[in-house]
Amino acid sequence: MPSITLHQVVPIPLSDRLEKRTSQIWNTDIVLKQGEWIKIKASSGSGKTTLVHILYKLRNDYKGNVLYGNQNIQAIPAEALASIRQKSISIIFQDLRLFPQLTAFENIQLKNILGGVMYTEKEIMLMVERLQITHIIQHKAQTLSYGEQQRVAIIRALMQPFEWLIMDEPFSHLDINNATLAAQLITEECTKRNAGFILTDLDNDTHFVYTQQLNL
Amino acid sequence: MTVLNTLLQKTIRGGVGKSRFIMAGIGLGIAIILLLAAIQAYMDFRELLYGNQQNNGAEFLVINKIITNQNMAQKEALRFTPTEIEEIKKQDFLDAVEPVQSSTFKVSAQSPSATLPFYTDLFFEAVDTTFLDVKADDWKWKEDQDELPIILPNDFFDLYNFAFAPSQGLPQLSAETFMALPIEIHISGNGLSKKMMGHIVGLSDRITSVLVPKNFIVWANKHFGTEAEKKAPSRLVIKVKDPSNPALTEFLKKHQYSTNQEKTRFSKYRSIVETIVSAVGGIGFTMLFFALLVFSLFIQLTIEHAKSEIELLITLGVSPKQLRQFLLKLFFPIHIIITLLCLGIIELLQWQLSIYLTTKNMIIGTYLSWVSVLACGIVLFVVYIVLYSTIRKYIKRKI
Repeated sequence: MPSITLHQVVPIPLSDRLEKRTSQIWNTDIVLKQGEWIKIKASSGSGKTTLVHILYKLRNDYKGNVLYGNQNIQAIPAEALASIRQKSISIIFQDLRLFPQLTAFENIQLKNILGGVMYTEKEIMLMVERLQITHIIQHKAQTLSYGEQQRVAIIRALMQPFEWLIMDEPFSHLDINNATLAAQLITEECTKRNAGFILTDLDNDTHFVYTQQLNL
Repeated sequence: MTVLNTLLQKTIRGGVGKSRFIMAGIGLGIAIILLLAAIQAYMDFRELLYGNQQNNGAEFLVINKIITNQNMAQKEALRFTPTEIEEIKKQDFLDAVEPVQSSTFKVSAQSPSATLPFYTDLFFEAVDTTFLDVKADDWKWKEDQDELPIILPNDFFDLYNFAFAPSQGLPQLSAETFMALPIEIHISGNGLSKKMMGHIVGLSDRITSVLVPKNFIVWANKHFGTEAEKKAPSRLVIKVKDPSNPALTEFLKKHQYSTNQEKTRFSKYRSIVETIVSAVGGIGFTMLFFALLVFSLFIQLTIEHAKSEIELLITLGVSPKQLRQFLLKLFFPIHIIITLLCLGIIELLQWQLSIYLTTKNMIIGTYLSWVSVLACGIVLFVVYIVLYSTIRKYIKRKI
């Protein structure tokens, strides 16, 4: 899956609003090339999370086409989509989406073994340590603070091979120090995989060396 | 894979309480037991009924029309027409039909000996040798042969020995002596006559008639019989796979045919047993149906209960196949255990029953019939199909 192409994409619920203004993503043709580190800046309510969900094929209520490589994502069958989500695209949700009844470690481990084991327990614990959540790693996710949950979600997203990492406000619950630690880890992991990423956020930031900055 | 299953199990907690699950399991167990018991009882009954005959299998019955006051005057109505014979041949329960061919010429027999004098008018009948219960080397006749082999009914021999002889002061005879008696046979008709020497070669339990080789009847009817007297047979020998088959008795009753009641006696017991067995089997089937319905509802409930977890799992990249396999592993083993447990219980009952019946001089197998084991396999297969398709259907809805 070398590139992601958006062709005249407009989410139907937002179409009235979006068609009245210009955007570098909506209602235009854009190719996100493999290996690019892309920052998408957007104000609240401009369809940031909608974009992330469309890119990850979580919603289909849009006009236009999204292509993974040459393939329209609407045409990808369920099994193939699962394989893509195990091997090619990873995601950090804004709403974190951990299993509340699993521990932090189990949440990470579930993703780690899903498509074949990616990291050893030791390697996982090193990442956990770097993001300073060792003390809560055996706690159930439902007992964790948002900041802790967000760091668990970040590590979980790194538990698979990927060509693209999609991040929806990945540091929204972290202080600047923790955000920097997390950004360093993500940079290393993306570099190691030669992977690109798409990061959405409200404001400008200097966490990464972006190859492209787009306004939604 | 096991770690994944453990984690999946933690996320997808059953939406069904344990006690309800156990109750449904017991229901399924009872259903399978009833079903297997019905099948095994049927197989045991068959074994009791045919256990000894299984090797030679077929039975021969002589059938004729019932003579009533209405039809007794119409001679032709008491004979089997070719259409009727064709219809009988078509029935599934019989292997072969052979008309009993009768002589159309005059026959008389007398004793040449003074110690046992007798004279009687007689008749001959013939059937194909394969329908006879008497095997004799000299049961054959050639055109120039004056000696004629005869088979008499065993009943006739008994009547003579135990009723006629004592009442007339005649000697009672052993079968060997009886068969060694010389008999003078006179046949006549068509203006011709012939004297022959009869020789009893055997006594038949099957066909109550005076039998001679078939080729003799054909030859003699041609020379001594008249064309007008060539008649349709009034008796048929039928070879049936199973004289206790209710279909046979039903057929005979419907067409007002009659046969040896002794041989078809078991058909009544068999219909009773078949009715009971089908009732039990029917209840088993119905219960199995409902048990499967309950289990597929459980699957549905579990999937609905874990709806958001399943959606998140799929979002994270768990493939529908992985989910299906996991759910199947969650539900199918309990069904295997229940089925095997039922098979064990039925085997235990069969074993006890065989011991009990042995004291009543009835022998049935200690082990279950292969049909029951096969039925068990089929039940498991059906359960698998139902579970798999339910899981598939509801997982698909969550994608």
